[in-house]
Amino acid sequence: MKKVVFGFCALALSAVVFGQSLDQSMLTKPPAGSWPMYNGDYSGRRFSPLTKINDGNVKSLSLSWLYRVNAGPGLGSNVSSTPVLVDGVLYFTVPDHVWAIDARTGREIWHHAHESKGGIHLGNRGVGIYGQWLYFETPDCNLVSLNLKDGKKRWQAPICEPDQMYFGSIAPLVINNHVITGVSGDDLDVPGYIESHDPETGARQWRFYTHPAVGSEDAKSWPSTEAMLHGGGMTWGSSTYDPELNLLYFGTGNPQPVIAGKARQGDNLYTESIIALNPDTGKMAWYYQVSPHDTHDWDANEVPILFDGVIDGKPRKLVAQAARNGYFFVLDRTNGKHVVTSKFAKANWAKGLNAKGQPMPDPAKDPAKDGVLVAPNQAGAANWPPASFSPQTGLFYVNATDAYSVYYIYDDDEKPEGWGGNDRGGWSKSTLKALDYKTGKAKWEHPWEGTGGPRSGVLSTAGNLVFAGDPQNNLVALDAASGKPLWHANLGARMSNGPMTYELDGHQYLVVAAGDMVFGFVMN
Amino acid sequence: MTRNLVFASVLIAPVLLGQPPGNGPMPEAPGRAVVMQVCGTACHGPSVVTGAGRSRDQWTAVVNQMVARGAKASDAELGQIITYLSMNFGPGARPAGEPGGPGGGRGPAAGATGRGPGPLGSGAADSHVVDDAGAERGKAIFGAECNSCHGMKARGGNEALPATQRGPDLIRSMVVLKDRYGSLVSPFLAKGHPMRSGGDAKSLSPAQAGDLAHFLHQRVYATLRNGAELQILNILSGDSKAGATYFSGAGKCSGCHSVTGDFAGIGRRYDAVTLQQKFLFPRTVAFGRGAPPPQPSKPVRVTVTQANGQTVAGNLVSLDDFNVALRDGEGNYRSFTITPQMKVVKQDPLDAHVALLDEISDKNIHDVVAYLESLK
Repeated sequence: MKKVVFGFCALALSAVVFGQSLDQSMLTKPPAGSWPMYNGDYSGRRFSPLTKINDGNVKSLSLSWLYRVNAGPGLGSNVSSTPVLVDGVLYFTVPDHVWAIDARTGREIWHHAHESKGGIHLGNRGVGIYGQWLYFETPDCNLVSLNLKDGKKRWQAPICEPDQMYFGSIAPLVINNHVITGVSGDDLDVPGYIESHDPETGARQWRFYTHPAVGSEDAKSWPSTEAMLHGGGMTWGSSTYDPELNLLYFGTGNPQPVIAGKARQGDNLYTESIIALNPDTGKMAWYYQVSPHDTHDWDANEVPILFDGVIDGKPRKLVAQAARNGYFFVLDRTNGKHVVTSKFAKANWAKGLNAKGQPMPDPAKDPAKDGVLVAPNQAGAANWPPASFSPQTGLFYVNATDAYSVYYIYDDDEKPEGWGGNDRGGWSKSTLKALDYKTGKAKWEHPWEGTGGPRSGVLSTAGNLVFAGDPQNNLVALDAASGKPLWHANLGARMSNGPMTYELDGHQYLVVAAGDMVFGFVMN
Repeated sequence: MTRNLVFASVLIAPVLLGQPPGNGPMPEAPGRAVVMQVCGTACHGPSVVTGAGRSRDQWTAVVNQMVARGAKASDAELGQIITYLSMNFGPGARPAGEPGGPGGGRGPAAGATGRGPGPLGSGAADSHVVDDAGAERGKAIFGAECNSCHGMKARGGNEALPATQRGPDLIRSMVVLKDRYGSLVSPFLAKGHPMRSGGDAKSLSPAQAGDLAHFLHQRVYATLRNGAELQILNILSGDSKAGATYFSGAGKCSGCHSVTGDFAGIGRRYDAVTLQQKFLFPRTVAFGRGAPPPQPSKPVRVTVTQANGQTVAGNLVSLDDFNVALRDGEGNYRSFTITPQMKVVKQDPLDAHVALLDEISDKNIHDVVAYLESLK
């Protein structure tokens, strides 16, 4: 069934391909030097096999171009998207805006501005591309398809309801004839879900709610159906995909009400979980909850990274996540069985691990009226900025943040709704860590000077390099094996996205954003 | 351009909702006369306008709605109105605590911290703007006729109630969430709905239904992350005697501070929440959402010993893996590229506070706050 659909789709597209275009084989097996989707490839590893920029010559990396976006003041112009490269053109976003720029020169080719009907303009992660079409989500809850060539709108399709305070922010993921969309928004108590849309028409193919079926065994993780159906679990992280297993992997967000959790006793499935779905049907294959009954807004939307490894001498297909709650998880991605859990940053909220490797929340660290000191803080030990896994070193690289804040209950009602509390104040300090997936322990760590956490992603390359941001606005290249800093450039603002790399005309480029600036570095 | 009639279809009764003039200030500024003439004569007193704290885009949406609801003005006048409103009643234009400022229960997502109104505000650009006076009138109706089934906060009836008397949660009601100025609430009630008095809601006037809509939207906005009613409650739960013991004992606070010296009367100078935050996070970083801005505090000291043995010391300005910058004793800015031959030593006088975070218990925290608070 899937093959038939795919075959038809490829045929239909091949008939109209000209100029900028991308086909499914580019997505399934991206050639070295390409970057055809948000994470570079379906695995989410953000590892590039390119070696033209390497530990021996990185000091010669030079600025090739700088592009500055203009989408208004504040976070509206903050580039948190990772550009996607197709046929020498980079495509990236801020909320309501998409740009196409020349990957060789930074010259703007087109700019599309969406006429907004509202929604939270907190950030946008970027685009999905297939054929000659581009897809992005908007704060006012639309999936929009543009013509790659000129940025003209083809159609828009609703993916959520702004009146329920949902909004769109993720980079859609294209898998065969599916455009996978997620939703954001935790101001009101609404359920999370993930959808698939038809790439040609935008019509919805399926929707999977991130809560159990009413009356099922898993539904007993909620005190009532009412609580479960208003229990959150947004899908605002980046998904990954294993073409061989035909499974889509994504993390889910916080349960609702967010901080005041007394009217939702239980584990609150499937919030703050890693979920594997069949992308053709939207049916769940397995789930693993990384934060049972969270009351700290620790969305588990960090990228679930796929790689193959060896555990106890046996080859295994694995998925790993450095979660916002301070714990690192390695699972078997064929069945969701637990392999490793470790603490990768300060975390004082769990009593220990259960038999499945899940941290067991300590009720003493639930938010309280008089304040409770919790590590990590609400921003988390990690967050949406993507981590990286290098198959060359076998290390999982993440900017880990040690952080404390005080969590308060603001609404002591028997049936709180929405947030009902928040955290305040805090101290934080970040360290780039290289975790050994077999043990979860750091092989090396590089503490960044000063306090505060960089909200930036990580890239690793076969040139034995790791690229990451520090809290002082530096883009830093480090030796991937040892963690030694080798090169830096101060970007004038904190790195605001995940770095990406590509090769054009025999030259390797490195592209990174800081605030409203997108920098193109090149090895000449 | 601004005359957008897209909302005409949702016009039902709300045009009739007469608002009594309020007392909110309308600052003298270009455009005021037009605002008063177009908005303030037939329909609004100034209070419905002030305090909404909206961005230009949001005000444009509101004005478009008002055009759809019958406001008469030329395009040029509408432009002046939008400019006046966004300049004088834009995000952050209102001091907290003032009538119509944060505390007025307005949305979307109005608030003094974190995600405020404007481009980061929640919800649709044409979302319902609450009129506080209308919401007060609606609250009175709700209290008299609705809350026995729908609950005091409109969150649905208490589970102890028999199912027939347990009204649904109205904060989660699509009729409420998609309503604008009674556009859905009013026809819903007009179809007939029981009330506590024994009467039927179809006896409510469109103006009363509109007031109920204001009240319900106010309740929705109060639920949002930055809902105006979401404030820290009483945190004074600790034992001040135990706090005193910790202060001079395990907490080692008395190593640097004295309750007869720098902390004399500290309970008079700060409220309990500020005391708690200051002693835990004297150098707060504004990183978590809702975090207050950094407080000026004791500077970090740094000493740079150069390859030739020369030493420069001062207050740290910045330090990373590659460079260090400081201000020396004379206030001169000095920066150095770090080399393997150079020694950089940092000394933070507040390190003990950071170390405390790994050790202090929540009980210790509450006791210390109670103790410091008692130092009047």
